[in-house]
Amino acid sequence: MQAGVLERAAGHFRTPSLWALLPLCAVYGLAVITAPEDAVQGVIQKILYVHPACAFAAYLGFGLTALGGALYLWREDEQYDRLALASAEVGVVFCTLVILTGPIWARGTWGRFWSWDPRLTVTLLLWFIYLAYLLLRGFTEGSARAARFAAVYGIAGVLAIPLNYFAIDLFGGRAIHPENLGRGSLGAGMGLPFALGLVTALLAFFHLLARRLELEGLRARNAFAEAETQHEPARAEGPWPT
Amino acid sequence: MNVLLAVLWKDLISEWRTRDRIVSMLLFSVLVVVVFHFALPEDASQLLKTGAAGLLWIAYVFASVLGLNRAFALELENEALSGLALAPADRGWIFLGKSLANTLLLFLVQAVTAFVFALTFNVSLTAVVPQFAVVMALGALGLSSIGTLFAAVAVRTRYREVMLPLLLLPVMIPVLLGAVRASAALLERGTLPAPALRLLIVADLTFLIVSFVLFEYVLDE
Repeated sequence: MQAGVLERAAGHFRTPSLWALLPLCAVYGLAVITAPEDAVQGVIQKILYVHPACAFAAYLGFGLTALGGALYLWREDEQYDRLALASAEVGVVFCTLVILTGPIWARGTWGRFWSWDPRLTVTLLLWFIYLAYLLLRGFTEGSARAARFAAVYGIAGVLAIPLNYFAIDLFGGRAIHPENLGRGSLGAGMGLPFALGLVTALLAFFHLLARRLELEGLRARNAFAEAETQHEPARAEGPWPT
Repeated sequence: MNVLLAVLWKDLISEWRTRDRIVSMLLFSVLVVVVFHFALPEDASQLLKTGAAGLLWIAYVFASVLGLNRAFALELENEALSGLALAPADRGWIFLGKSLANTLLLFLVQAVTAFVFALTFNVSLTAVVPQFAVVMALGALGLSSIGTLFAAVAVRTRYREVMLPLLLLPVMIPVLLGAVRASAALLERGTLPAPALRLLIVADLTFLIVSFVLFEYVLDE
């Protein structure tokens, strides 16, 4: 069994991305520290350099999960299933960060940890959908069946998201989540750390994705090799003519 | 189309012969209504005025999960599911037959539960019976469409009874939201709001189409 195209690309990407990530993290940290404090919100506003960047990475992860699932159903190539699994796991990590950093800021600015704003609600539902996705993979026996079930659920989950957003936006509650990018309300000196945060989060996302993808590829090749060696003696020892 | 009718007929016949699924769903959802009585404050008339539709739909959702969990249980015996998968027919139609059977069962349960709820909690439904039936039917269709797809997945996993609600609940929110808002408006003002109805129909159609296409891969033995 050969490593897939995706895994080989991941192998080439892993080391350079790590070396790029280390100085980038330092520069990003420095930029966040030296960025001017918000006149109204104070230091808590600096979550802006972390929270939306993680959200982009999380949404990217879930998009890739659905894409990987669809490609797997179409091409029946296992490497796409491994891409779906890897991006779901990394996406859940970033989504968890979004759900953790959001309330810290909200407590300071809105005065409470949570609000049933459409965007918060949909992100929470997304988080639940992808946790269920990972559970489903764990609870299904047989790798081909797990891959198929997961692909079906991943696609259904992603298609449900715009519908969920539309529905909740229609009835679910008052929208109070800020729309900074749309209004271009970033103050002077805030654009650089924001952009650096975005780049760092995306690079971190792809680095983790590459490592996870490589690991899953090794696992699959190991299982394949083990199955090969186990089959040999069984065939030789059988009492029946082969 | 013939496949749809055949599967629907087979499911209804086999349900009629044992009646265990509909009886357990019915008992369960009426019991949930009874539990509401103990969970609500003593004078709940104010709460019921605004929250009755929500309470009713909670009972419906749980009853549907209970019923859907059993929807494919019978098919696992004697490899009947493989037989279905081998049938020379488009699997989408098999899905539609199954989900229509589930919709009918759920609708029956909903109707009886609504009747019991209206009687015991003194909520008047008599003026809006046809509109309420439409909302219940659309809600049942939405829950049963995506629910049948996920039930076919969940039934072949470990912890299948737990897996189905975990898969279904976060995805079916649009159906629930549309149904609850439509029912609430019916109970409060006696009119059907167009946005809620539109949302219900859009959600039903989306879930039906998605499940119709994806069922092919779920049944792939």
